[in-house]
Order: sequence, then C-alpha cells, then structure tokens
Amino acid sequence: MANAKKSHALPEGGQWPDAIAFWATLAGTVLTTIGFLMAFFFAGPVNGAAVDGLPEMIGGQMVSSKLLLSQKIFYFHMPVAIVSFGALAFAGYYSIRFLMTKNQRYDTCAKVAMEISLVFVICTMITGDLWTRFEWGVWWTWDPRLTTYLILMLIIIAYFVLRNFIDEPERRSIYSAVVSIIALVDVPICLMITRMIPSSIHPVVLREGGMTGDMGMTVGVCMIGMILLGFGLYRLRFRQVRLAQRVQALKDELEEN
Amino acid sequence: MNPVLAEIYSTIIPSAPYIIAAYALMWAALLIYVFMIVRGLKKTEAQMSILEEQVAELRAQNK
Repeated sequence: MANAKKSHALPEGGQWPDAIAFWATLAGTVLTTIGFLMAFFFAGPVNGAAVDGLPEMIGGQMVSSKLLLSQKIFYFHMPVAIVSFGALAFAGYYSIRFLMTKNQRYDTCAKVAMEISLVFVICTMITGDLWTRFEWGVWWTWDPRLTTYLILMLIIIAYFVLRNFIDEPERRSIYSAVVSIIALVDVPICLMITRMIPSSIHPVVLREGGMTGDMGMTVGVCMIGMILLGFGLYRLRFRQVRLAQRVQALKDELEEN
Repeated sequence: MNPVLAEIYSTIIPSAPYIIAAYALMWAALLIYVFMIVRGLKKTEAQMSILEEQVAELRAQNK
C-alpha cells in the first residue's frame, strides 16, 4: 500500500500539471505577445548620452539626450535568463531526488528540465549578445556576468555530451545528476556576480532603481509569460519523453516474449 | 531634419536590425524546440503503430 502510494507520487505524463499545461502555454504566448507590444508602445524610451543644443519637445516631453531603442531587448532578456535559472533549479532538485532514490523517473525529469534551461540559456545569449554588439561594439567581452553565464552554458552542454557518451543507464544518470548539481551551484554565482564585483559593466537594475513603473510592468508581463511558456514546454516535452519510454518498454517486453 | 532631433534619434535606426534579430532569433529558438517535441511525438506514434502490428501478428499466431 505504501509502495503504491509512493509510486503514485512519481511524476508522470497525464497528471494534474498536464491539465493546466495547455492553458499555461496559451497564456504564456498571449502575455509575451502583450509584453512585446508593451515594450515598444507602452514603456517609455530610455535616454542615452546628452545631445548638443537645446532640448526638443517629443510627445509632450522635453528630450535632451539620445533615445536608446536597443534597451527594448532587455524586456525579454531578463525574463528568459530568470526562466533558465528556474529550470536549472528544478533540474538540480530532480537530480538530488534521483541520487536519493535511484529512480529513473527523476533522471527523466532532470533531463527535460536541463533541456528547457538550455533553450532559455540560448535565448539569453542571443538577446544579450546582440545588445552587447550594438551598445558595447563587440560580440563578446569577458564581463564577470557574461563569463559566469558562459560557464553555465558550457556545463549544460557538457551534461548532454556526457549523456550521449555513457550507455549504461544508471551510471549515465548518476554522472548526469552530479553535473546538473554543479550547474545549479553556478546559478547563485551567476546571479550575485554583479553585486560581488561592483566594477562589472553589467547593470544591477533592480537595486539601482533603474526601472520606472511602466518598465517594471512590462518586464512583469514578459516575465509571467515566459515562466508560463517554460512550464508549458517542460510538461509537453516530459509527456512526449515519457510516452516514448513507455512505448520502448512495451516493445522490449514484447520482444522478450 | 533639425540637427538636435537627428542626434536624439541617431541610435534608433542603427540599433533596429539588432533588436529585430534578437527577437526573431529568440522566437526561432523556442519554435525549434517545439518542432523537436512535435517530431519526437510523431516518432513515438510511428513506434506505436509498429507495436500494434506486432501485437496483431502475435494474436494471429496464437489463434
């Protein structure tokens, strides 16, 4: 009875999160679209360097500095980075659960969460790199935040390389779980590096109060949208992977008989 | 155009390709992942069909 209860608690496709996954994905798509529109039509432009000469009246406001359109990338850059950290936290949790129980289901959960984190890390890198190229004039700079985030991306890639190299399932899962936990350790370092090394050129927006109300609202909408999208994608992928595993298990059983 | 206004707007046009590319590539990355999931589902469905055929063959043999 206790065992039946325990196995019932294991993550599986078709459980209650799948009932809300579709609506979460839909809401995420709608919110990110609204967030995109808000970024360009609601949030005010950010001022850059001061211009020579008298201020000009634009949209009922006196403007005396350059308008930075590139800042619009930020509205999606920060949310996708936060989702990548969140997915890594789940991957780390499931990896620890796997090491405690040796149940392959947790390894599957961790693997899918790592996939989600990789997708969002790629999104963060794309948005950040294009902003860097325009604002700093280079494709890459060894800024502490960028460097720690690059290390994080390399650890995640190493996780999948490792999985492909080891055939024996249990050994593969154990090594992968350890790498996943190492990736999780890099998350707080990545988050806190701009505070630990104040000379960093990467801004600490929230602490420095660099966001106005309209900007905060836009980031909030994008953030909720991206979290919902990340959750929806995780459940969709988990369901598909579990279905494939179940079909494979049936196939193996049929071949044995 | 007024030179002050020209300077105010001077970063808008040059930054536009980077912003468009950032948003487009980000959505492309997410869409590629969705495509991968859908492809995985189709593959599983194909395996399921093979499995059903095998079960049907076994049933025929047992009769």
